[in-house]
Amino acid sequence: MVRGGFILFVVALAAPSLAVAETISFGDAAALLAKSCAAEITANCRGVNFDANRLKECLSRNQDALSQQCKADYLRSLDAIQKRVAARTAVANACAREIVKLCAGSTKETSKSVPCLTTAHGVSRNCLQAMDDAGYR
Amino acid sequence: MRPVASRLRDIGLLAAALLLFAGLAHPLRAESAVSRDDIVKQLTGLDAAPDLDIAALRDQVLKRSQSRSKNEPPPQKRPPIAPELTKLPTFNVNIQFDTDTPIVLPDSYETLGRIADALVQSTMLPYGFLIIGHIEANGKRENNALLSQRRADAIRDVLVNTFKISSKRVQSVGLGEEQLLDAAHPTAAVNQQIQIVTVAKLPEQSEQPSTASPASPAKKSAKKKR
Repeated sequence: MVRGGFILFVVALAAPSLAVAETISFGDAAALLAKSCAAEITANCRGVNFDANRLKECLSRNQDALSQQCKADYLRSLDAIQKRVAARTAVANACAREIVKLCAGSTKETSKSVPCLTTAHGVSRNCLQAMDDAGYR
Repeated sequence: MRPVASRLRDIGLLAAALLLFAGLAHPLRAESAVSRDDIVKQLTGLDAAPDLDIAALRDQVLKRSQSRSKNEPPPQKRPPIAPELTKLPTFNVNIQFDTDTPIVLPDSYETLGRIADALVQSTMLPYGFLIIGHIEANGKRENNALLSQRRADAIRDVLVNTFKISSKRVQSVGLGEEQLLDAAHPTAAVNQQIQIVTVAKLPEQSEQPSTASPASPAKKSAKKKR
């Protein structure tokens, strides 16, 4: 129930702007974090590895020491990573028909159907968009 | 005076907002060293998955790095400890770590992100990877074995914890200075590279479809009988 509700929620969020990519790549998100916060991380979070939770914790603990740029970007980039990860769960829903009909797979193990989905014919735009958002294509 | 100052500030804020917006629209402006597709290309083409015992390899590395035997060859002449790994699809990469630690410096965040992007790309999904740490032959040999292991583990942790790559798909091992990438120059910086190696093909389909498939031939044969 809760999970179904969550998926619906994600879909509802994704619905308004289907034509535009909703996520950015991990590489771009990580580059943004490094570009805006490298000095702050080196100065205040030495010893903290590139772990989203620990970095977030460290940077927010050191709010006062952050440049405007870093303050503006660190949550944005860490959230972008999270969004990209979360986009994977939306694929099961957006591609439910394709996974079962075209790829003889199961929506419980979406990632196994992805290689098939990216090459299959007759995949809906919705499904393609979901795969782009997850970084599969 | 005041209105002018505040107007100036407004303009400043507006400019900042515009810059921010531009940044949003073009997050990829920094010149990146590697692209996702380059990494994918280099990790593609696993012919046959080798039989690897990573735990045993770790032990071997540690033991060899601790060896005090007088017959120990110098770094240039050491045979590679895991030659089977050199025949697999491999991506070699420079990752900047803080000195003597497994902490990745921000300069290398983007590279790790690109690696994660590659591992998520659809053609890579059916494969498992080994992260190999190396250290150049400077300082204590045993410490290098340990440090390379910690660094390989750290990369694995970033991929698993930050980018949520399935932990089943990434293993890690540190080879210290036991498999130098440039054996002719044991202290060269190139010997500090991290390697990502394609080592496994994951089982095609698991429980769900395979429990269904024994049932379907039964159904078919039942139909035939009728």
